[in-house]
Amino acid sequence: MSEMPIKYRAAEKSVKLIGFIMLTLLAVSFLLPLYWMVTGSFKLQTVTMSVPPEFFPSNPTLENWVKLFTGPWPVWRWVINSVAVSLLTVVLVLLISSLTGYGFGKKKFPGSNTLFFVLLSTMFLPNQVMMIPLFLLVRSLHLTDSTLGVYFAMALPMLSSPFGVFLIKQFCSTIPDELLDAAKIDGASEWATYTKIVLPLLKPALAALAIFTFNQAWNYFMWHMVLASDKFQYTIPVGVSFIARTPAYGKTITDIGLSMAGGTFGAFFMVIFFIAFQQYFIKGITFGAVKG
Amino acid sequence: MSQFKELAHNIWKGRSGYLFIAPGYLAFIAFLLVPLLFAISLSFYRSSFDISARQFVGFEQYIRLASDPVFKKALINTINYTLVIVPATLFISLVIALLIDPLDMRIQSFFRGAFYLPGVAGGVILSVVWLWIFNPTYGLLNYVLGFFGIEPVLWLSNAPQSFWAVVFVVLTFTIGQPIILFLAGLAGIPKDVLDAAQVDGANDLQKTFFIRLPLLRPVILFVLATQTIQVFQLWEVIFMLTRGGPYNSSTSLVYLIYQTAFISAKYGKASAIGVVLLLIILVVTLFQMRFWKDTDL
Repeated sequence: MSEMPIKYRAAEKSVKLIGFIMLTLLAVSFLLPLYWMVTGSFKLQTVTMSVPPEFFPSNPTLENWVKLFTGPWPVWRWVINSVAVSLLTVVLVLLISSLTGYGFGKKKFPGSNTLFFVLLSTMFLPNQVMMIPLFLLVRSLHLTDSTLGVYFAMALPMLSSPFGVFLIKQFCSTIPDELLDAAKIDGASEWATYTKIVLPLLKPALAALAIFTFNQAWNYFMWHMVLASDKFQYTIPVGVSFIARTPAYGKTITDIGLSMAGGTFGAFFMVIFFIAFQQYFIKGITFGAVKG
Repeated sequence: MSQFKELAHNIWKGRSGYLFIAPGYLAFIAFLLVPLLFAISLSFYRSSFDISARQFVGFEQYIRLASDPVFKKALINTINYTLVIVPATLFISLVIALLIDPLDMRIQSFFRGAFYLPGVAGGVILSVVWLWIFNPTYGLLNYVLGFFGIEPVLWLSNAPQSFWAVVFVVLTFTIGQPIILFLAGLAGIPKDVLDAAQVDGANDLQKTFFIRLPLLRPVILFVLATQTIQVFQLWEVIFMLTRGGPYNSSTSLVYLIYQTAFISAKYGKASAIGVVLLLIILVVTLFQMRFWKDTDL
């Protein structure tokens, strides 16, 4: 074996180079649809339907974007709706999960294991099943009659967040008991211990949970679709789906350029959000699945 | 008596615990547990738009589902989607993660972001552009395939193709999350283990098969479990691209639930389909948990 390493190293280097080239090609092909959407938004209708397709728009036009912003679709209203629903969801989920996660993580009381197990076992249930009763509830309470009611209704199915409780409970186990006991000896109330000591220590976990929840709430498409009764109640994904709406089986596409502008507009906010908070996204994803 | 007293004492001692879990647990009961139980009970009723006029019919919804061809198609499709998408996602993301792992940290984070980006944009937004790419006359895909002498394909309006079109689009955004998980798992493999193998003369391929993959086992199982559950709930791409068509060839259980509950207002039937989906996911999860037990996670 001793005469082999140099040969191996050379082979490994070329394998790595081939790997790098393959990766670049793969990344390009996975990003190609997004490129096609963005450039498509700058193409005239005649160009979007021409064969061969123009790989780079030779006569870029803003026509689609003008149509998007001045047309019948209240796109900025959709942004406000999406941001409002997602923020409301994040605030409520953080509040609820941090209290409950701390309770399960640090407090001893009869039945805590059973209660936690019941909660956790529902983590992987298909939420579409619960949507039917929740929809009937929202309908009977006439929540969709007011803007605030719609926002609350849209946040509703995410308020029970087994994942959030699980994440905070696990994170609480890193807080030393001595710290909490010391606070107790110093005469701090339960509530003061929670707000002054526990919450600050939970900050990294709460940040990851916030980013994760915001993204989830933003893309909670089916529920938004079911609830929104007019175009002023749409969230961005719902609105974009209506712009691009086609007869069944995709037989005709009404306005490709406008659809692409709508899609680009819809993707823009989450992509910026992702680039800004990439590390929190990754923390939220890897939490619980990977040791370390 | 003293046992009862002790329990009461412990409950009283733990009262702050109950207060802390109360908000979350009440939300859990109100918005998950009660709706779940209500959905299960609703599956034993026949119900249209006005649910106060629902009629108890026992197991009739389930009996009728058993001979419902659309339900059968949706069930088979859902299983087929899972059998195709989950292994493909696992394989592609594992290969990509193994290719990214040896690179510099900065290049790593670039590729990680690039593959995760389509998922961030979301299935709805991606479907908007795929509707255009799949267009039979002026879509990009048929144009590119034309170079290889392939005749224009009716991607969304022909029976087997519509299924594969959905599969293809879903794969473009499901791989991002597993790649991040695998990279985190690979980064956690102790360096000295790999170095020891190097000293023993193992090449990169051997290190991958005999060290990296076995050590990634917990992460692989986690990805398998979460992806399976996600694909079982496949809906938005079908809604955007094919509306389940043509002739239900690309429909899924969740798409059928959406259609039955929120378009046809048959809440009893939709709940019954939901309960079937729930049972399938339960069985699959329990089955996968048996594998989890063998690994020390």
